[in-house]
Amino acid sequence: MSGAFRRAGLVLGLPVVLFVVWWFASYDSKDFYRPPLHKILEAFRDTWFGERMVQDVLPSLIRLGIGYAAALAVGVTLGVAIGSARWLRALLEPVLEFLRAIPPPVLVPIVILLAGIEDRMKVIVIVSGAVWPVLLNTVEGVRAVDEVLADTCRSYRIRGLARLRHLVLRSASPQIMTGARQALAIAIILMVISEMFAANNGLGFLVVQFQRSFQVTEMWSGVLLLGLIGVALSLAFRFVDRRVLRWYYGLRAVERQPK
Amino acid sequence: MLAVRGLRKVYEGHGRRVEAIGDLTFTVGAGEFACVVGPSGCGKTTLLRCVAGLLPPTAGQIEVDGRPVSGPPRGLALVFQEYGRSLFPWLRVRDNVELPLRSARVPRGRRRDLVSEALASVGLGDVHHAYPWQLSGGMQQRVAIARAVAYQPRVLLMDEQFAAVDAQTRADLEDLIRSVWQRFGVTLLFVTHDIDEAVYLGQRVIMLSAAPTHVAEDLPIDLPVERDQLTTRADARFTELRGHVYAQIQAAKRAEPSEV
Repeated sequence: MSGAFRRAGLVLGLPVVLFVVWWFASYDSKDFYRPPLHKILEAFRDTWFGERMVQDVLPSLIRLGIGYAAALAVGVTLGVAIGSARWLRALLEPVLEFLRAIPPPVLVPIVILLAGIEDRMKVIVIVSGAVWPVLLNTVEGVRAVDEVLADTCRSYRIRGLARLRHLVLRSASPQIMTGARQALAIAIILMVISEMFAANNGLGFLVVQFQRSFQVTEMWSGVLLLGLIGVALSLAFRFVDRRVLRWYYGLRAVERQPK
Repeated sequence: MLAVRGLRKVYEGHGRRVEAIGDLTFTVGAGEFACVVGPSGCGKTTLLRCVAGLLPPTAGQIEVDGRPVSGPPRGLALVFQEYGRSLFPWLRVRDNVELPLRSARVPRGRRRDLVSEALASVGLGDVHHAYPWQLSGGMQQRVAIARAVAYQPRVLLMDEQFAAVDAQTRADLEDLIRSVWQRFGVTLLFVTHDIDEAVYLGQRVIMLSAAPTHVAEDLPIDLPVERDQLTTRADARFTELRGHVYAQIQAAKRAEPSEV
């Protein structure tokens, strides 16, 4: 019981301290660009809990969701194909290295030219950045399938889709999840950036809009909201991760025990 | 049921050439329990992998159930030496045993019966929902055996099964193998380096020479069908057979070419 308190204290301690420090340090700030925290929180309530939730927050989250899901699907599919075929790997590796090295934000102007400024562009930008960690980690995971398990499948004539589902994907799942975690962070960044470039709604669009119209307090509240969304998504990811990789964490805990 | 004719396996690569199996010929009849022993490094595992269709032989022919082996044959199950690694860590015990049956499209109800029966027959009726890594080495071994049994193979291959478990567990598992063999009437080829074990378990002991391997002797074991750890191992005939096999293996080791 006291262990749980301790852990909660460790997790929440620093955020609470930072919040309190910010609160009091900024309490009677007259600086226009650095409004007091209580003002920011007021603006937070007034700005986001209303129409904007539907008009701006929701569209952003939908783009993020679609882009992230597409990045996962494309990354895992290509990753399995590339990881399973040596010749494909040899053929694609140099190209992939090059593409991966391009910072995704520079693709935004190009994608605007090719795909316009609508939702399609934003989804493409998110995919173009988030797909890499998923793809590369999947390739590594698929390559590292245990030989004995692979032989077990051969010997029991477990082939095709059953093999893919029960051997390849499951055995690569720890790496796939690692890639997915990195991809989530990248996807959030690209969602905001793509909206900052060209958009008529969305979180990134609004933050820039507030800044340009000197609504500094609202701008700060937008940053706060983005941070909170990031935390919420990463908690959701942790939850899924613990479920999907239950076997993996259990196995590792057993292996770490002294014999 | 199982025929090996003129089997030869040479590993080549990096300028080195290793003749693992020289010329092996033997047959195992339907329902027979044959043990293969030989000095270490004589290609026992290579032999099993060839029979299981996981490794193409350099020359010679293998037939399982009258059909030549060109890939993993139907109706054959192999229990790997690395039994722990051969279990899927993400599947629970029950699902591990069931997976080959699902893949073979055995109907659900039948599958359930086969899995339950197999797990009960190895004494694991109560750990269906555990993960393999939560079990001891001996229990993992039983899961691997249960999975092979549930698959209803006509030929069952076992590789150096009990090298890594303690003596107690080992004795239990040996008796378990005997009971599984009697209960399911399967043709069993059991590879081991342990002479006592080979004599205790089988109806026949096939002794291999050192590499390049051939059959040194094929010895019928005329011990009674009902065997148990105490009386069988104390039997004068057991001691005699064991001594004979031991002498053969020693001779095979001495014949080993000294250059390598």
